[in-house]
Amino acid sequence: MTNKNVFRKILSLLIMSTLVLSLSACQKSDQITTETTETTNTTNTDTKQEESSGTQVNPDDEIVLAGYRNIAPGIEDAYYCSVILYVWEPLVTMDENGEPVGKLAKSWDMSEDAKTWTFNLQEGVTFHDGEAFNADAVLYNFDRMRSEVKTSGFYNLNIDSFYPNLDEVTKIDDYTVQLTFKEASPSLLYTMTNFGSAMYSPKCFDDNYNFTGIAQGTGPFKITENVKDQYVLLERNEDYWGEKAIAKSIRVKTIPDVNTRYSALKSGEIMGVIDLKAITPSLATELVTDSQFAITTTNSTMIDFLCLNGTKAPFNDVRLRKAVSLMIDRDAIANQIYAGYASPTTNILNYSTPFYKEYPVEYDVEQAKALAKEVLGDATVDVKYLVQQDNAEQKAEAELIAAILPEIGINVTIESYDWATIKDMMTKGDYEIARSQQGLSNMEAITIFKRFMYSTGDQNITYSLGCQDTKIDGLIDQADAEIDMSKRQEIYDELQNISVEQQNVVPLFNEKTLMVYNKKLTGYEAQIYGIDLPKIGWAE
Amino acid sequence: MIRYTGKRFISVIPVIIGISIIAFMLGLITPGDPAAMALGRDGVSQVTPQLLENKRQELGLDQPGLIQYLNWAKKAIKGDLGKSYVDHTSVSGEILRRLPVTLTLSGYTMLLVCVFGLLFGVYSAAYLNRIPDVIMKFIMNLLMAFPAFWLGIILIIVFGENLKLLPTNGIDGISSFILPSVTLASANIAMTGRLMRSSMLEEFGKQYMLAADAKGIRRTQILLFHALPNAMLPVITYLGSCLGGILGGSAVIETIFSLPGIGSYVLEAIHARDYPIIQGYVLFMGVVYVIISLGIDLLCALLNPKMRLGGKA
Repeated sequence: MTNKNVFRKILSLLIMSTLVLSLSACQKSDQITTETTETTNTTNTDTKQEESSGTQVNPDDEIVLAGYRNIAPGIEDAYYCSVILYVWEPLVTMDENGEPVGKLAKSWDMSEDAKTWTFNLQEGVTFHDGEAFNADAVLYNFDRMRSEVKTSGFYNLNIDSFYPNLDEVTKIDDYTVQLTFKEASPSLLYTMTNFGSAMYSPKCFDDNYNFTGIAQGTGPFKITENVKDQYVLLERNEDYWGEKAIAKSIRVKTIPDVNTRYSALKSGEIMGVIDLKAITPSLATELVTDSQFAITTTNSTMIDFLCLNGTKAPFNDVRLRKAVSLMIDRDAIANQIYAGYASPTTNILNYSTPFYKEYPVEYDVEQAKALAKEVLGDATVDVKYLVQQDNAEQKAEAELIAAILPEIGINVTIESYDWATIKDMMTKGDYEIARSQQGLSNMEAITIFKRFMYSTGDQNITYSLGCQDTKIDGLIDQADAEIDMSKRQEIYDELQNISVEQQNVVPLFNEKTLMVYNKKLTGYEAQIYGIDLPKIGWAE
Repeated sequence: MIRYTGKRFISVIPVIIGISIIAFMLGLITPGDPAAMALGRDGVSQVTPQLLENKRQELGLDQPGLIQYLNWAKKAIKGDLGKSYVDHTSVSGEILRRLPVTLTLSGYTMLLVCVFGLLFGVYSAAYLNRIPDVIMKFIMNLLMAFPAFWLGIILIIVFGENLKLLPTNGIDGISSFILPSVTLASANIAMTGRLMRSSMLEEFGKQYMLAADAKGIRRTQILLFHALPNAMLPVITYLGSCLGGILGGSAVIETIFSLPGIGSYVLEAIHARDYPIIQGYVLFMGVVYVIISLGIDLLCALLNPKMRLGGKA
């Protein structure tokens, strides 16, 4: 018996000691990280301390934000980092209405025939590595673009999409550059904004124009450290040629999972979220029930729509496409599934381009029934509706739509796959309805018309939309040749009329850029893409 | 022993070749065009048929499957698993870069599993059918029933969002690994504990225990030096497969806690149809699995002579 007791004691002791040991290990490790963070001067602990002691915030404290992907993917990416980090600057950027405004290009002139563009550059600008920004640097960056198509997670660096029909780039003087084109290019400014005219120090690249290290731009922030999949560290550029940034240093973490970003906001590890897909509408509304958080939102360049397979029955009939469009209660989808952070539309063109035309969003069940009856009579059809498997919102939408379409004789089976598989099925024409979305590559509307409505347009073909209309092709060709922008707008209006009338894709809504931040920050304002990073700082 | 070791080593080779073929086949049979995914990953760029054709040639996708496999296998033997279709980074390089994160996570997890699993099991067995045993059994059942991703979220809410004690993401020091490794370990602790308990109980019923007891050896000594080593054998085998499971299962946990390990790497790659990464991962993990089970077999053979002699008799 005594032996047994001894054994019990030993075991109990063992268990107790392991527990104590593991607990103290936890504590120790906490101390270790506290020390290291203090020495490297990061804010995680700093903010926590301030929270508890309630002292004033040091304006130079690091601000920690997070996005879903590597916002600075590094040397393998054509741009090294996204434009929203304000590390590199373009010749031309855009204002909040999507209209082009100068950045590194001070002003410009277009010749009468729209074949020659002359850009006057900002003077006294230097790259982060001290190199001067001038016409030679611009020429070097054009050489780089001409070398080959460089891929990127943001926009592929493809000179043919940014500068169609470019012939020559010549230096007039140190601060003047001239571009000549084979064809008239009146809408050049819209295609070359932001990613289209990114400027880097020529010293950043090797002989094949690939990055050799951290990108050296001219922007208000420079990158001091970039750890892939973890974070990128930005420091204020004290020699910036324009208005300097408010924050001294900003760390942008990579947190792929939206729920983890939510938790990190709640725990105070990050002060805000940026980039696309920053937060879902439902999580955002959940967060702002806590008074320390606020939402910032604006129009996004993303449009969400249903593709209808127009290459075969039943949706090769415009009346049935129209019927589907009329049956969908877009307001209900926007409000119930996206908490109001979606703007219903029936126009394929996204609302953030200046060429957009507003149309009333029709929802008319009776008219839909009448149209469907004309096509189907009393028969019914079975259709396959594809949604992305990892997207809860798309599934909710699909269920809503699948529940109402039987009223017009369309029976829906929802199938969910990953995007690569859906794309494959769409190209093969093995579907009737598929959920998709599209971002604007630039503010020039014709890109979207060409891709979705032109008979050889890439999305028209890969999505099996079956849009084959000589009238549309003629209009697009005509717009392409039109030098007068107001006449071009008229053609764009007509193309938008046709898109609303024909519903080759059934647009559901324009997305909204949605971000959440901690009210300890000020100046946190959503832009069409990203936030105005140089304007953010700690609140007093 | 040497003969046994040699035999085991040779038997591993066809397994690895089989894994490499399956790994490669995965890429060929899944739907979705990697060239289109690589070019269209920005979601906005126009992909012309010419660009697509060039890309297919560049990636070698225009060649027959067998040639593609041989080219790939030739390089893989040298440790070169090719380049990502999407961002052109070296797959071997990325796996090596991310491996420490996964290994650290797995290491902490295994530590928790060994310490608490064995302890719970032995403790439970020693107090068979009494209150400590009942409590232990209850805890183990509970741990086993929790899905890991759910437990992870609960831990984040409690220790991250509310108590603000531990980080919810990232790899800033050891504290970042506490929540993920506890999450990953919980079910394995329970399994190991239960196995340890039943294995101990089996030993208790054996003749040598009765003999040892009759000799008047102290009970503690019997438990720790007689029963425990014998009871360990099945547990060690289990821990081996458990380590494999932890390495593979870390993918979900890495995603929840935003740890840049190889698990989250392959999950991203699957979405992007980045075959070289998927193939490289499957091959790499397959080889790791094989090595672990080989190691466990050899360890067991060392501990249990019956195993290595079994073949001769």
